[in-house]
Amino acid sequence: MSLLALDGVRKSFGGVTAVADLSFSVREGAVAGLMGPNGAGKTTVINLISGLLHPDTGTIRIAATDIAHAPPHEIAATGLARTYQNVRLIAGMTALEQVLAGRYLRRDTSLLASILHLPAARTAMRAARDHARALLARVGMDHRADTLAETLSYGEQRRVEIARALAAEPRLLLLDEPTAGMNAAESAEIGRLVHALRDGGLTVLMVEHNMKLVADFCDHVVVMNFGRKIAEGTAAECIGDPAVQEAYFGRRHAQH
Amino acid sequence: MDLFLAQLLNGCALGALYGLFGIGFGLVFATMGILNAAQGAYASWAAIIAMYAIELAGLPFPLAALAGIAAGGAVAVLVDQLGFEPLRRFGPGNHQAAMLGALITSIAFWIMLDSAAGLMTGQQSLAFPPGSYPATVFQIGPLLLPAMQAVSLLALAVVGGGMHWLNTRTRFGAAMRAVGWDPVAAALGGVNSRVIVVATAGLAGGISGLAGILAGISTANISAGLGQGLMLKGFAAVVVGGYDDIRGTAIAGLLLGVLEVFCAQYLSSSWRDAFAYALLLGFLMLRPRGLFGGGGFTRA
Amino acid sequence: MSDLLEDLWAAYASTLGFAMVNAFFALATYATLSAGILSFAAVTYGAAGGFLGAQLLLNTTLPLPLIFLASALAGLVMAMIVAALFLRLESHWMALSSLALVLITRVVVLNTPGLTGGVNGLSLPAPLSMIWLVALLALAVFGFWLLDRSWYGIAAKSVREDPSVAACLGIDPRRIQLIAMAVSGLAGGLGGVLMAMMLQFVSPDTFFIHVAFTMIAGVVLGGSHHWFGPVLGAAVFTALPTVMQAVVPDLQDIANGAALLLIMIFLPRGLLDPRAIRLRRAAK
Repeated sequence: MSLLALDGVRKSFGGVTAVADLSFSVREGAVAGLMGPNGAGKTTVINLISGLLHPDTGTIRIAATDIAHAPPHEIAATGLARTYQNVRLIAGMTALEQVLAGRYLRRDTSLLASILHLPAARTAMRAARDHARALLARVGMDHRADTLAETLSYGEQRRVEIARALAAEPRLLLLDEPTAGMNAAESAEIGRLVHALRDGGLTVLMVEHNMKLVADFCDHVVVMNFGRKIAEGTAAECIGDPAVQEAYFGRRHAQH
Repeated sequence: MDLFLAQLLNGCALGALYGLFGIGFGLVFATMGILNAAQGAYASWAAIIAMYAIELAGLPFPLAALAGIAAGGAVAVLVDQLGFEPLRRFGPGNHQAAMLGALITSIAFWIMLDSAAGLMTGQQSLAFPPGSYPATVFQIGPLLLPAMQAVSLLALAVVGGGMHWLNTRTRFGAAMRAVGWDPVAAALGGVNSRVIVVATAGLAGGISGLAGILAGISTANISAGLGQGLMLKGFAAVVVGGYDDIRGTAIAGLLLGVLEVFCAQYLSSSWRDAFAYALLLGFLMLRPRGLFGGGGFTRA
Repeated sequence: MSDLLEDLWAAYASTLGFAMVNAFFALATYATLSAGILSFAAVTYGAAGGFLGAQLLLNTTLPLPLIFLASALAGLVMAMIVAALFLRLESHWMALSSLALVLITRVVVLNTPGLTGGVNGLSLPAPLSMIWLVALLALAVFGFWLLDRSWYGIAAKSVREDPSVAACLGIDPRRIQLIAMAVSGLAGGLGGVLMAMMLQFVSPDTFFIHVAFTMIAGVVLGGSHHWFGPVLGAAVFTALPTVMQAVVPDLQDIANGAALLLIMIFLPRGLLDPRAIRLRRAAK
């Protein structure tokens, strides 16, 4: 059964069509890759799914609910979390606080109870902190928990951002170029993390340029160019597809 | 009927000052994203300098007015370079924080400039010496049009038209908008953003200064408080007209002037400001892009 | 020695009192700013609280705590009206609208003499005791401390720094900002009645544009990233004119402005900046 399903999604800005009649679905428990050359519309798709943008036409379903026109915070509440192409951490917060912010949906207490510091709310806050610390440990960042996040290295910030996305215990995780700006060792580590997450039952859709990572970890790949889907299948099928070859390497190369 | 027409004319002449001031105020807001609390002080300073140019230097009115406009522009450039430029360079990258910082430094200048203006005028309300400015009254049919009212209307038409032309037809206008959008990108694209910023600030100061001089004559009140009254109504004109829309600001200014005069004449003089501000609030809520909202650009 | 202290107290007690009253307005402004809204509407909440409180003081025998409560609630009601009207506006428009609201407040106050005394204002008999002021400010600061350490505090910080990231974390920005405005209304309304009692007088000029600018300057001066910033900023901004008057009597306003300008340029994040403190701590 598919957890995420896009059907006939179209989005244009002014006269420019960024996404045209895009349909694909991601099976529950799968790791799906979204590929395509720069400007293919991948990040627009991520923004459409997370609700920062709304499609002009078409439906986007998470489980059975159409969330095409829902605001981002409601979509997040259905079990979606994401990261950003250029890491977007919250200025002035420590690594731990970032992850704690990600735990907002699972705070297990009302805002009022929390403001009044009722005993139950205090217990819940302590539990949330412990959980956040554990997540930082999972991405190997627990030793920097109390460091101001903006002073961390780029790779470290990415890992904090992934921990923040996981804090809400999502059903579906969108990763927008999780290994951009990382070296080979760091990328491999992200790959292992994604794999472990899938083994834990999480569904992942990731935009990724690193072919090796896609080939190793994605069960299912969708390739886009100029806002359209040009290929779909396993990583091997997609990389061998003439349309994909043409999109990535130009027409001449594809004929060889 | 004659009274109606006469009041209509009075309203337009008053509104021309609001429109004029608003064009200067809106220019800074639309291009640089600065809500400039010191803008009113430019008007006070221009009027004070123009008056002293007549009284002490004995300059003829047109030259004195030019001196006042230049003073308004110079003060505006000073405020921009001392108060806003450091924030552009070292300030926070966050847009809202930058806007807040500029608002605070403009408040600082507002306090300083108003206080210095108070010292200049000896904390009194002064006036242009009688006979120092054109006082002819033209007769058009049943209507009497004092020369200074004509000058105000003409000034709005010339400045409004000129700014519209500058904005839409010249490279300078395009450069102003580019700098307003994104100074870094504009600098990369070859626009010398500092020159453009200084020129924009000077222009805005000069326009507000002109409004101050004309208001100083029509109200016979030149004091540190002159600018504040203009600023409140000019601000309303900018919002009602749309802050990036010169034509809209000019028309909204006229509208506010007419509304004010008619409310005072036919309804209640104590509520006249209420109508102006209620209009302002209504527009903010229902048509935040202003009278002709649509074109132009928004800051998201 | 004790005479000297008594003289000092006599000279500066009212400055201290006004610093504390201004702290309420600064906190009211900080409340919205800390959730990403630049709003001057605390002046309007202050007017609501101030005039209601003054009327209750003049015409009823209600005990003081009830009057304080009623004034704070008047600010809250006003804030909810403002929220219903303005909260959907984009940030620039919100700032402009709230400024327009301050202008309108004055016109309304001037033209409802039955409620506000109109041009003449209302005179209040008894002065406010310093103990009340200290107690209420302590209460307010405690409230802000609680807010800061709660889930609301985490959510508000997120909304302020990056509303779309916050929304993707499941935080409803509008809900957080609505709470922020409610807090602002309570603090502003209470500040209004305290201002009225401190001055023993309220008039249309008590709550006008200069208050809006003073309080926003106080917040930014003190630091807008921590609840103590506004309290500190209000104190500095209240004391500054008194000090300047003693040092450079003729040029006090110019000196005030220059001080504000210099602080803004050299300490753009305010006197108290938790981020800088954390960075310094990290560097050690």
